[in-house]
Amino acid sequence: MISKGKYLIWLIFSILLVSNVFVFLHSMKLSDKINHFEKEIKNLHQENLTLENKIYAVDSLQYAASIAAQFDFNQKAQPMYLENLKYARGQ
Amino acid sequence: MTKQRLLLIVFFIFYLLIIIKLFYLQVLNPSSSDTAYLKTNRIYPERGKIFDRNGEPLAVNSPTFLLYIEPKKIGDTFEFVKKIDSILQVGEASLASKIDKTKSWVAIKDGLDTDQQQKLLDLGLKGLGFEDRFKRYYPESSLAAHLLGFVGKNSQGEDLGYFGIEGFYNKDLVGLPGIIKSDRDILGRPILIGTQQKLDPENGRDLYLTIDKSAQEIVKRKLQTGLERYRAKEGCVLLVVPQTMEILALTCLPDFDVDLYHLFSEEFFKNPAISNLYEPGSTFKPFIMAAALEEKSIQPDDFYNEKGQIEIGGYTIKTWNNKYEGKISLTRIIEKSSNVGMVYVGQRLGRQKMYSYLKKYGFGEISGIDLQGEGSGRLKEEFLWYPIDFATVSFGQGIAITPIQMIRAFASLINGGKLLKPFVVKKIISQGREKYIDPKIQRQTISPRSSEIIKKMLLSAVENGEVRWTKPKGYQIAGKTGTAQIPIEGHYDPTKTVASFIGFAPVSQPKFLALVILREPQTSPWGSETAAPLFFEMAKELLVYYNIAPE
Repeated sequence: MISKGKYLIWLIFSILLVSNVFVFLHSMKLSDKINHFEKEIKNLHQENLTLENKIYAVDSLQYAASIAAQFDFNQKAQPMYLENLKYARGQ
Repeated sequence: MTKQRLLLIVFFIFYLLIIIKLFYLQVLNPSSSDTAYLKTNRIYPERGKIFDRNGEPLAVNSPTFLLYIEPKKIGDTFEFVKKIDSILQVGEASLASKIDKTKSWVAIKDGLDTDQQQKLLDLGLKGLGFEDRFKRYYPESSLAAHLLGFVGKNSQGEDLGYFGIEGFYNKDLVGLPGIIKSDRDILGRPILIGTQQKLDPENGRDLYLTIDKSAQEIVKRKLQTGLERYRAKEGCVLLVVPQTMEILALTCLPDFDVDLYHLFSEEFFKNPAISNLYEPGSTFKPFIMAAALEEKSIQPDDFYNEKGQIEIGGYTIKTWNNKYEGKISLTRIIEKSSNVGMVYVGQRLGRQKMYSYLKKYGFGEISGIDLQGEGSGRLKEEFLWYPIDFATVSFGQGIAITPIQMIRAFASLINGGKLLKPFVVKKIISQGREKYIDPKIQRQTISPRSSEIIKKMLLSAVENGEVRWTKPKGYQIAGKTGTAQIPIEGHYDPTKTVASFIGFAPVSQPKFLALVILREPQTSPWGSETAAPLFFEMAKELLVYYNIAPE
């Protein structure tokens, strides 16, 4: 009877020890994952901002003006029809 | 001594050592244990973005990094400095002077981009770290420099908005920083059974302006051309919706580069449209005319006998060309911009009423525009006015106002008499919640009837004025020119003028009201030959841009 109780205590202690080691290792893994995803989120956010800014730059009037100058397409779009209303009326 | 007793003593000594160590760590030197595991970091909020009325970005954020070092962890200082300087190019001497081995943290350089950060990381140096930061990015560069202001630093090295919207709305834009308290192991991984607290930052509020980016580009480009063509010293253009006083565009030149603001002196940061005073000249005449009509001191069909120069308080007042037409209508007084005619109208209105109307129009008080740095203008007390002051004010000399006061008061003349508070921000977004800012009527200046009469007079001033401009055909455009001499050391310098034009279109239902001011134009001193043609060039493009059909 005593020996059975002894084995049971040993078994419980062994299970606790193994589960403790498992929990510890699992928490390490989780910590690694948290760390990894934290960095990923930060990098994605920064990348997102950088890409967003690139879109804004391409969409800007400044960029349009520079491209127009680059291609020598700098003839200003004069609203000619205001002085020549016959064109508008003729339609 | 039995084996058991020996084991007990060993265990006892072992426990005693642990207790002593714990006492040292927790009582004698608690900071050493905290700093090793518990990391407390500030999470910087993202500054609110600024968009125009169509959601086009004007000021956004770009990720940057602050490079810091931990001098205690640095081995060979000479090698360390040499390697870092090969990337940063700030000078080895200045870098070396920052490495103080007694300090545990020293900031080296802010504003590094991702490439620079990667290059520094590739060096694999110990004692090097980065903090995430943001810096302002302006997709449209300095398109609206005076309007936006800039983001500098305060005495603690934190971001602070200066001038314009960045200054006025700094508290909304800046947001609230977050804090992260986390137990970390030696590799920087979170210890799950330890302290893990995170207070998220609250990003700054996004602002949507009343400004129209395209209209801003049109007026700025035209103003630049105008300044070069007329060789003027400075210039300003304000474009508003007269019914609401939403600012569609506001530009003054010269301005500053928002990215390189630190290279400019303070005088460039001040927005002349809201802080500089000028004498409005003849653009002021409609105010006195409207007041006299409102008070029924004159009738729209009255006539004035323009005989010649007049004397007031020992001063002679004459017309701009010293020509006199005899019996002329009130509309003709505005058309030919007759100073003597306006003195007559002012006299009919009376001094007290004239002064009270100046107050009513909002001169001498701030307009309340949501931009930092507004000046109030000067309106001296009534008892300090001489008779000549009342006479000159009737044609816009001897009174100093700001351009924003001018356009606000003028908008009330053409919108049925409502004096509104001008505003630049129409929507604020905070964590998904939208707050709209509505136009605010401050008071009634004149009746809708007087407003209609003045509009007709101003239309006639453009159609039958002394100068014929190239106007967009098919449209009714109204306005008034102004030329004011600049007071220098107690007298007026006839060679230096402020030329201006204030006009609106279409007359029946004005879509925009614009004020063009040129300071000291060299090609001609007159507003009719400088500011007015510039206004019509802008109007031509704006009518097309706003898709306004000919009447």
